[in-house]
Amino acid sequence: MREDARQRLVTWVATSVMPHEGRVRGWLRQRLQSPEDIDDLIQEAYARLAALDRFDHIARPDTFFFQIVRNLLVDQIRRSRVVRIEAATELDVPSVYDETPTPERIAGARRELARVGELIEGLPERCRKVFTLRKVEGLSQKEVAERLGVSESVVENEGAKGIRLILRAMREETVDPEYRSRVRDERATKRQ
Amino acid sequence: MNVRQSASEIESDAARWVMRIDREGRSPDVEADLKAWLAGDSRRAGALLQAEAVWSMTDRARLLEPAPRRAPFGRVLAAAAATAAAVVLVGVLLLERPDSYVTEVGEVRRVPLSDGSSASINTASRLEVEMGERVRRVRLDRGEAWFQVAKDAARPFRVEIGRVRVEAVGTAFSVRRLEGGAEVRVTEGVVRTWVEGAARAPVALAAGAVSIVDERAGPATPRVEPAAIDRELAWRAGRIDLAGETLAEAAAEFNRYNARPVVIADPALADERLYGVFRLDDPESFAASVGLSLSAPVAADEAAIRIGDPPG
Repeated sequence: MREDARQRLVTWVATSVMPHEGRVRGWLRQRLQSPEDIDDLIQEAYARLAALDRFDHIARPDTFFFQIVRNLLVDQIRRSRVVRIEAATELDVPSVYDETPTPERIAGARRELARVGELIEGLPERCRKVFTLRKVEGLSQKEVAERLGVSESVVENEGAKGIRLILRAMREETVDPEYRSRVRDERATKRQ
Repeated sequence: MNVRQSASEIESDAARWVMRIDREGRSPDVEADLKAWLAGDSRRAGALLQAEAVWSMTDRARLLEPAPRRAPFGRVLAAAAATAAAVVLVGVLLLERPDSYVTEVGEVRRVPLSDGSSASINTASRLEVEMGERVRRVRLDRGEAWFQVAKDAARPFRVEIGRVRVEAVGTAFSVRRLEGGAEVRVTEGVVRTWVEGAARAPVALAAGAVSIVDERAGPATPRVEPAAIDRELAWRAGRIDLAGETLAEAAAEFNRYNARPVVIADPALADERLYGVFRLDDPESFAASVGLSLSAPVAADEAAIRIGDPPG
């Protein structure tokens, strides 16, 4: 794909799809037991988006993304030998997936911009500095490394870490606390 | 046979790829390596798109006005430059360095921590967070913070304030650094507190308890006042909730948050007791209300907000 086309796709995903990921995950949680399965399925769904040649014809990116996820889930259930009855029957009723515009969905760009600022502010100190120098002041990674007096690999690490922390923060925004503590309990049990 | 990578590992690789592309551009070399990586697992293309989306989204931060409450960059950089030589030498080792969070005067910040816990950091504070394998460690260098701790029985969550230790598994509590010790307030669950190196056994504090832990004497007998704790933690919402505190105490509290101090010019007013909820970032309104209820003049200029006439 040409570079500008790729960039347009990336921007579209950032503004039109990712803000809805939390709700789609919420829907998935009622159908899949393990958080790892959900993570796998979400990555597969984004991989389908990555393969898109055109996307400007998609009027409702959130519904479109939801359909991809749903289809992947149907495939997965078909492939598995044991089908949980309730899982199979509920799939046709995306009632949980409410399409009425909420105030949050309308409020749009300005809020989102403020949100980007908050996400960066919420990063650990050094991570935040890397993002600010690279993104706000527009320095290259090399220049950021020089300004901070660290090696370029440190800048790369901090940047990669920041990307993951922001992804996580965006995801957890729509996650209910009860679910979060359940996931953590499970992870804690595994470690023991 | 290859072991299937977890989604989380793929995400980590994808984030690194985005940084490499940002650094080197999509040169033929990069493209070739990238193509090989993408071919290894169908999920990788998805993770890469997500990571790229985050990276490009933060471009918009450029449109934001610079936050005035931040320390000027020059100062931060000067400090960074001072340690530059040392930093270069240690290089990779530093990756495991704890994350630090700093708030300026008047800034209250809520930050998510990587274990799912969160910290609300009060004005003029500094803390370092290190998520270890066996213990989640937070060092409070100055100020105050309230923690909502994610449950993880295998890794206790420990806050270190000087030699004072406060430890929880999954609960919510605040600590405030004091001269020679710390003040601990428990809002949920139970915490254990002790002084490192002291013979005394740890003391358990339950929800609703407030205790001052002295570095030499150890934890004091806690007072149990759930309602008071909620009031005392009103700063999390940028407010101060007064229920009979003296004007002197209230002014001191406001002065933790604002560079322009509230000054009690007439000492006779210092012990007057006050009630009400005020915004911490608006000492002027607070002073005006006090002036009205105590019939005292209030004068505000750039340097200070004065309540009452100096005697004589």
